[in-house]
Amino acid sequence: MLEIRQLDVSYGYLQVIWGVSLKINEGEVVAILGTNGAGKTTLLKTVMGLLTASQGTITFLGEEITNLPTFKLIKRGLSFVSEERNLFPAMTVFENLILGAYTVRDKKKINDALEYVFTLFPRLAERKNQLAGTMSGGERQMLAIARGLMHGPRMLILDEPSMGLSPMNVEAVFETITRLRSGQTTIVIVEQNVNTTLRIADRAYVLEQGRIVLEGTSAELRSNDQVREMYLGIC
Amino acid sequence: MEMLQQSWDIIVTAILRGGLYALMAVGLSLVFGVMNIANFSHGEFYMIGSYFAFFGITEFKFGPLPSIIFAGLAAFAIGMIVERGVFNPLRQKSKKGWLMNTFLLTLGVSIIMQNGVRMIWGSRYRGVTQFWPGRTKIFTSMEIANDRLVAFIIAMITITLLWYFLTYTRTGRAIRAVSQDETGASLMGIDLNWIHTLTFALSCMLAAIAGASLLSINPAFPTMGVNPLYKSWFVLILVGMGNIWGSIYGGLIVGLLETISIYRFGAGWQDVISLIIIILILLVKPSGLFAKKGVKSVLE
Ligand SMILES: Nc1ncnc2c1ncn2[C@@H]1O[C@H](COP(=O)(O)OP(=O)(O)OP(=O)(O)O)[C@@H](O)[C@H]1O
Ligand SMILES: [Mg+2]
Repeated sequence: MLEIRQLDVSYGYLQVIWGVSLKINEGEVVAILGTNGAGKTTLLKTVMGLLTASQGTITFLGEEITNLPTFKLIKRGLSFVSEERNLFPAMTVFENLILGAYTVRDKKKINDALEYVFTLFPRLAERKNQLAGTMSGGERQMLAIARGLMHGPRMLILDEPSMGLSPMNVEAVFETITRLRSGQTTIVIVEQNVNTTLRIADRAYVLEQGRIVLEGTSAELRSNDQVREMYLGIC
Repeated sequence: MEMLQQSWDIIVTAILRGGLYALMAVGLSLVFGVMNIANFSHGEFYMIGSYFAFFGITEFKFGPLPSIIFAGLAAFAIGMIVERGVFNPLRQKSKKGWLMNTFLLTLGVSIIMQNGVRMIWGSRYRGVTQFWPGRTKIFTSMEIANDRLVAFIIAMITITLLWYFLTYTRTGRAIRAVSQDETGASLMGIDLNWIHTLTFALSCMLAAIAGASLLSINPAFPTMGVNPLYKSWFVLILVGMGNIWGSIYGGLIVGLLETISIYRFGAGWQDVISLIIIILILLVKPSGLFAKKGVKSVLE
């Protein structure tokens, strides 16, 4: 569904991503793991057209999307929940959600999507008229994910969705991902919570200093000594 | 009794004056809030609005209202061309020093438009004597020209429509989204280029409507935009940058300051007095009367 071939990305003269290739199939949940500064966010932002690739190609649903402007990718069914969340702080929860469905013209579909995200996160329904800027960190996280679902994406890309959440909310986020997966949404997830992530992901890639150093099914990676040592704290 | 009557007259004059400043300031504010451009060519769109209304009446034989609408639409089109031709290419190239570079560009646009108009239409005054004949007394001792009243009403209707558009429509919401978080907005599928062009064009249209509605009071000439430009900047500095509701109050406050100083000290002192008072206010509230900390938005 999404295929990245030999991707290089630089910030000015500083190259951060080196010849990364990966492939994500329809219906999969794929994790991208790596230490801080490995280049995970950079990789995702390049896929989303927020950064420019200097080399390599990205294809989505069989069409090349390398360096297309972000807004066009949304129309094609991609959705990205960024590390910074990028909410609209002076707008209400409701308005943020409606903007999530900006590319959807059918009123009924928008209402269905609203209902759907409100069942996923009942808290958002209670806070419908609150300004996004005044929400707690955890609520903002939920809003960002919910907003990312509003246009019914075919692939949802999540950059550290559980960052800063209390254990209960982390649980809620992972539960949501499990539910989405049964709803046929393909998911790419970057997480520090490696243990839990490998439990819900089908496959994972490990990124180190901008290069893919390991890939395999979650089970394979869980039994890999290097992964156990670096990310799971098990020796 | 006479004192009371006089203050009432001042207030009515101030409101009529301030309404049009508000209309100018709202456009300036919109462009600053959404595009981060300090627009010093705003007055020139007021100027061409005035010219277009003049030609609407004299050449095309439109009535007053259609002429004003025609002026607004024509300025909208020119605004689109200017944004696509000037600011958009710069945005694609680099965002370094954006505020300064665009400031200089707007000065350039202003000079080109002033001199372009002088070249095409000359520097003589072009005016009409009246849009809506007659004068009205509204609780005042003085009679007010109907044109002034109608211009004020047009300004208020325009601002209300803009408010409705920004608050309740899909595109209006997108404009606000861009003003609050550009990355977030493009992640919603919003085309930033289109929103920028639209915002600039809308702002030009608002200025042109102000210029056009006042044609019978202030005739068109090439440098007529300078004064309204200053006034709308006074308003923006006073209320804080990029806030539409604030601009309305700000317009009325600046109108009031001016009217009072004209009554008390005579014409010619109004800018001095307004600026002194604005400076005093800024000493107490440096980011403007209505600025909210940390939240950047064109409409709250
Ligand atoms: N705007 C930027 N300019 C220059 N260098 C950058 C920029 N953004 C990121 N980098 C660098 O690129 C490298 C990869 O950063 P990136 O944010 O992709 O890492 P990450 O894997 O997402 O890390 P984390 O787990 O901390 O989120 C880091 O060394 C970082 O310092
Ligand atoms: Mg990151």
